[in-house]
Amino acid sequence: MQTASYMQKLLQIEWLKLKNHRPFIIIASFFTLGVFTINYVVYILNNTINKVQGAALIKSSNPYDFYYTWQTTSYWTGWLLLLPSLLIIILVTNEFTYRTNRQNIIDGWSRSQFIEVKMMLALIVAVCSTLLVVLSATLFGLLSGSSFSTHGISHVFFFFLKALSYNVIAVFISVWIRLTGFAIGSFFIYIGAENFISILLNNNLSLKLRNDYNIDLGSLGDYLPMNASDGLLTFPDNPLKTIAKSALPTDYTWLVACFAVAYLVLFFWLSKRNYLKKDL
Amino acid sequence: MEILNIKNLSKNYGTVQALKQVSFSVPAGTVFGILGPNGSGKTTLLGIVMDVLKPTSGTYEIFGQSPTADQRKQIGTLLETPNFYHYLNAVENLKISAAIKGRGVDDIDRVLEVVDLAKRKNSKFSTYSLGMKQRLAIGAALLGNPDVLVFDEPTNGLDPVGIAEIRELIKKLSKEGKTIIMASHLLDEVEKVCTHVAILKQGTLITYGDVNEILINEDVVETSAADLEQLYQLLQRMPGKLSINRKDQVVQVNFSSGTADLAAVNRFCFDAGITITHLQLKKKSLETKFLELTH
Repeated sequence: MQTASYMQKLLQIEWLKLKNHRPFIIIASFFTLGVFTINYVVYILNNTINKVQGAALIKSSNPYDFYYTWQTTSYWTGWLLLLPSLLIIILVTNEFTYRTNRQNIIDGWSRSQFIEVKMMLALIVAVCSTLLVVLSATLFGLLSGSSFSTHGISHVFFFFLKALSYNVIAVFISVWIRLTGFAIGSFFIYIGAENFISILLNNNLSLKLRNDYNIDLGSLGDYLPMNASDGLLTFPDNPLKTIAKSALPTDYTWLVACFAVAYLVLFFWLSKRNYLKKDL
Repeated sequence: MEILNIKNLSKNYGTVQALKQVSFSVPAGTVFGILGPNGSGKTTLLGIVMDVLKPTSGTYEIFGQSPTADQRKQIGTLLETPNFYHYLNAVENLKISAAIKGRGVDDIDRVLEVVDLAKRKNSKFSTYSLGMKQRLAIGAALLGNPDVLVFDEPTNGLDPVGIAEIRELIKKLSKEGKTIIMASHLLDEVEKVCTHVAILKQGTLITYGDVNEILINEDVVETSAADLEQLYQLLQRMPGKLSINRKDQVVQVNFSSGTADLAAVNRFCFDAGITITHLQLKKKSLETKFLELTH
């Protein structure tokens, strides 16, 4: 109870900073609009394609039918998660640019409180993103004419994990790099580099281990920090996924999810350690 | 009671030693000036005390205890530059400071009046001039009427009227019994408002104590005679002198400002059988004293 009140106080102060911050309002609005727009576009396209293919197929293959809607909405919204991550980078690095983080400490926050509130912000942004997914999935699921079902809602949890991972990595990079432009650049370079390493691991090591040594560890690229949460979100009946499954048949979903959580803890710890030890 | 007690504080930036084993304490109720030229380590010292910089070695105590974040809430601080959210106005910025301090929300209008920003309280911080930003930072430090204030170069960016106002404000706060720690490179500023002073030079503490003992204005009587050693021994007994020293071919006798009497010195020497060949009154300015200490 005391911890909740303590966190509430910190977040109220964070809200004082945010409520009139134009980039926050713009990016949050774009993201909210984007979640519904991207799913609406996919929903309409899918309906159009199905109508062309024949009315008989519509019911059986609509990706927004319950229970597919959780997975479909999570998957497509996942593409927009760069927006909240960029917002987090801007918010955290601005504190360094304008040295307001120093003032917060001078005024009486501890260094731990500062980094904890930024991590809480990352969490809240992830929760809000997830709520938008729930809302959007429910809306388009009902629009598709199917009956409500929570079956398959675990994909929304995977979305939450991905959103949180992106946001926490954004905080981590911001705390270490401190300059907005460099931090955003580093974030994109990191995404590219991790995807490249992931492809190398999957195409070479994962298959080699399985074929030559009969060791199946799944797709090794999925164990990297961002891919751990990325890999959890797939489009329903994705043919690429089917091919990957045939090459590496073992389902390591929950192991990968555990890795994603472990990375969250690691990035939180590294961010906090950096902020506690360095000059501000 | 000591408000701040610094023990052997050192800070290195790579190979540069910004602070070298600095130790001193700040008594309660004083206006304590930390004086030194640019780069002498004043801001580094206060930055460490405010936990925005980490010391390489050494410790410090605030209110006689190991430092904590809660102690900083009891201290109003302006450190180096005014740091505010540029997209927020004065009131919104002060609300954040007050919320972090856990006090002072009701005090916002008062402090804005004190620093003469009431008319611009709804303007964004980014539209403020340097002087206005500095005033807002001083206003933020005053929030909640803290008993201890830390001002790092408080008159930076202010015009002459603003400088005079801030000096008067500091004197007024001092009369109210507040402890003020003020870093400055301006000797004049320290001399005018401080009761105590610590002088830093390239990270080393040169001296510290009562400002009247360290930065005293002195009259210097320069004398010379055929037998310099005999003159030096005699002037040791000169009534009213503060100190005496030999320098090249002269003996310098220091008196409190306005008390040196050349005729009395001449008579004192003549009565003792020493003929003075050189006698000159020099005023030792504070600047000279400061330069002597820091160069």
